[in-house]
Amino acid sequence: MFKHKRSAQDFAEEIKAHLALEADELKREGLNEDHARWQARREFGNVRAAQERFYLKGRWAGLDRFLRDVRFGLRSLRQSPGFAATAILTLALGVGANTAVFSVMNAVLLKSLPVSDPDRLVYLRTSNPPRGTGTIDSNQTFSYSVYDALRQQSKGLSPVMAYVPLSSSKVAVRYEGQPEEAEGDMVSGTFFAGLGVNLPLGRGLSEEDETNHAPIAVISYNYWTRRFARNPDVLGRTLYVNGIPVTIVGISAAGFEGVEPGGSTDFWIPLQSRRELNAWGNPPEDGKTFIADSKWWCLRMIGRLAPGVSRTQALAQLQPVFQTSAYAGLGGSPMTGEKPPVLSLADAKSFPGYDDMYGNPLRIMMAMVGLVLLIALANVVMLLMARNAARQREFSVRQALGAGRGELLRQLLTESLILVSVGGALAWAFAAMATRLLGQWAQIESSLAPDKTVLLFTLGVLLIAALLFGLAPLRVALAGKAELALKTSAATSNANAGKSRNGKIIVALQMALCVVLLVGAGLLIRTLRNLENTPLGMKVDGLVVFGVKPDIPSIPVGHAFYQSLIGKLRVLPGVESVTVSEERLGGWWSDNSDMQVDGRLPDVANGASRTVRSNVAGPDFFRTLGVPVLAGRDFADSDTASSAPVGIINEQFAQRFLPNLNPLGHTIGTDDGRYTMTIVGVVKDHKYRSIDEEPIPMAWYEYAQIPMAGPMTVEMRVHGDPLAILPSARKTVQQMDPNLPLIRPMTQRAQFETTISRQILFARLAGFFGFLAVVLVATGLYGTLAYRVSMRTAEIGVRMAVGARREQVVWMILKDSLLLTAVGVVMGIPLAMTVGHALASSLYGVKPLDALTYLLAVAGVTLVALAATAVPAGRAASVDPMRALRTE
Amino acid sequence: MSTQENDDDRIALLQGTLDLLILKTLVLGPCHGQGVARQIQRQSEEVFLVDHGSLYVALQRLEDKKWIRAKWGVSDNNRKARFYSLTPKGREQLVEKTGEWRRLTRAMGLILDSSGGFQGEEA
Repeated sequence: MFKHKRSAQDFAEEIKAHLALEADELKREGLNEDHARWQARREFGNVRAAQERFYLKGRWAGLDRFLRDVRFGLRSLRQSPGFAATAILTLALGVGANTAVFSVMNAVLLKSLPVSDPDRLVYLRTSNPPRGTGTIDSNQTFSYSVYDALRQQSKGLSPVMAYVPLSSSKVAVRYEGQPEEAEGDMVSGTFFAGLGVNLPLGRGLSEEDETNHAPIAVISYNYWTRRFARNPDVLGRTLYVNGIPVTIVGISAAGFEGVEPGGSTDFWIPLQSRRELNAWGNPPEDGKTFIADSKWWCLRMIGRLAPGVSRTQALAQLQPVFQTSAYAGLGGSPMTGEKPPVLSLADAKSFPGYDDMYGNPLRIMMAMVGLVLLIALANVVMLLMARNAARQREFSVRQALGAGRGELLRQLLTESLILVSVGGALAWAFAAMATRLLGQWAQIESSLAPDKTVLLFTLGVLLIAALLFGLAPLRVALAGKAELALKTSAATSNANAGKSRNGKIIVALQMALCVVLLVGAGLLIRTLRNLENTPLGMKVDGLVVFGVKPDIPSIPVGHAFYQSLIGKLRVLPGVESVTVSEERLGGWWSDNSDMQVDGRLPDVANGASRTVRSNVAGPDFFRTLGVPVLAGRDFADSDTASSAPVGIINEQFAQRFLPNLNPLGHTIGTDDGRYTMTIVGVVKDHKYRSIDEEPIPMAWYEYAQIPMAGPMTVEMRVHGDPLAILPSARKTVQQMDPNLPLIRPMTQRAQFETTISRQILFARLAGFFGFLAVVLVATGLYGTLAYRVSMRTAEIGVRMAVGARREQVVWMILKDSLLLTAVGVVMGIPLAMTVGHALASSLYGVKPLDALTYLLAVAGVTLVALAATAVPAGRAASVDPMRALRTE
Repeated sequence: MSTQENDDDRIALLQGTLDLLILKTLVLGPCHGQGVARQIQRQSEEVFLVDHGSLYVALQRLEDKKWIRAKWGVSDNNRKARFYSLTPKGREQLVEKTGEWRRLTRAMGLILDSSGGFQGEEA
């Protein structure tokens, strides 16, 4: 488009010709030479304007001007690389942290389930399970008989869908000979149709499939991509789940990863009724799978509100059906004094479980990074203001030379745009990295990849930043009137800027925010310390734990296997003792139920819970764990299937169900009274499921005596590094059965720490953001003070020339920043107290008003202020009065 | 932009009419800028005031659109000047623009001459 472009010179030539021609003509009309030339010129008007218009014509004038502004902006930024780098990095950190946390929050809390009309979906919840039942989650799981009744009689919800995992972690699958693990769920036939999930390939499940327990599977898009490289030929192929062949019939829509809380389901099969595919991977109890066992509340349920039915109406219709079906197989009605369970419906719009797990921490984190962003923005604004104040003479000169306010504004906006674009690009890269790390640490399995919402969020923040950075310094720039250029002394021309009150206010505000962040971070870090230092009630050091899942055709074979395994592991060099248990300690899981004491369900004082946590354990269990036995004895090799059944309880059990009695010799047993055992030992309370739990009554069965055998966890106490024993342990296990892997081998300490991994993550991030805030505040303060000192060089020179001592000068500078700190602290403390209260639920062992944390935070900002002041103050003190005065 | 005083009853050209006037002037034969300006002024009985700066920019614009072309030459009184002439495309445009203008003036005339009794006075 620019080809054959005429030069400006040619155009000027033409105008010259015009003037000559016009003058000739005017001469002919009778004017004298000079007058004619003058008249021609006058007639023409503004030659320069015409030339300028010529120059601009034919180009995209705006773009041209913009490019010129950008070039100019880059040039002026290059003159102060320190400023540019600081501003860009500050912005990248501030915006990046926000984008990262926001994209996690967006993926976890804000996004709706990828199903049609998610607003009409509800989870079913119960206030409590009926007595005599075993549950997975006392508020969220139901028995099959409840599901069956609701499914058939519900009018308010259509349909009611049940879903339950095939294992508490992953289930063994095999596809074309390769054994591996995947997350699988058993679901209602109405699952896909009811949720409104599309199937881009193949078909979903039908009610008939559920009735027939059809051996078919729908796999998730994610699993299809990950495992089968999106090969459409997998339809019709066979997947072996726990050895049972199922045919793949469909692929679910991209982005749908099931409704398991916090999980990502790989495949779904219809509800099954066979021992290999029992709910949660449990062995059938008394030969009954979950379908036949109405005492096992193990299914989660979700429903869709029928068209035109409100939640209240649906609930009113379902309540009686639920309360009747709850006691199916339990004698038909609540026992005397028992509070019947109450059904409720909960929002199922968002991704399941995440809100409980991450909601509060994420919201607090978002607030924290929001504060960090505020500090960062304020920092850059201050840097810009300082820089532009230093450039005031440049602006004055430009104004004096005829630059309009518009020009100055454009230039400032362009400079800010450059900063913001570079900073924004860096921020995005930084956020992408941070998001991945966050996802890994938090073990969030669903996709956290930033989407359009996140992009819009980031662009919005950047836009605000760009405007802020462009407009805030404009005032300073324009404050310098053109006449200022005529003043020659730096001392006078910069005096106003040096005393700018805005800068002080911003620094004080930053200090306040910094106090808030430090208090928040301090409280969370102390929480983490408390959690890490919580006594577990056992000696975890030297303990290693792994799982084994042998093939057990009959109970005696199972017992024999473990007996032999314990015997072989005991004699390995470096091993102190070995035991087995059904539940792994510190694995979040526990088996909860009611238990009979001396032949009947015990009465409990003032409505306390009757729930007992139980586990199945092998010989030397408490000696291996290092849990003190308070009375009686530990389990021993002499406890076998043929000897009298024995059990062990903890202090809580004794206090709650056998108060003021010697518990030894009393009989306890399952809630139906079918298995009883004699208490032979009482052990000290210890942490069982997680680190932050309160002790509850517990009882242990002896593994060789109960009529059940399944996968077990092996606990080994060894000398030296616990993990060093694993190779020889693996060898021992594989000598017994070459196909057996060690399942999730780790130290017992690491296992317990998984239960506070979220708190660890939370505290670390909070600490990081607190640190970031401190660094930002320090740079900001340093920048402002350094600039102010440099502005006052002449003033300081004068002061020293008339006799001020160095200490006085240092104190003058120091006083300034200490005053700002004091103001910031006074503003920050009440804010921090509010934040502390908001954090209360995330704290452990530390009060929201923990004095030490507040003191440390205040000390922290003071230290930062002093450190940031030291250099400028030193510089001020070393000003040579003569030089300072001579520079003018 | 121009600081020229408008002390007589000449009218500043309406936006967009200058192009048409230039094309019309060039129909008579090649001419340089100054000649075009004089021509327009004379033909309009000195009513139109041609801003010379605008004229040259307009000439350049038309040249870029390939409605006219230019060549340096020598004027009657032996001065170097840039001569503009109409291209075939320019001729087409002239016909089209003239038609447009006629329609516009007719419509304006119809409205202004109607005995609608509304006598607006604009400040």
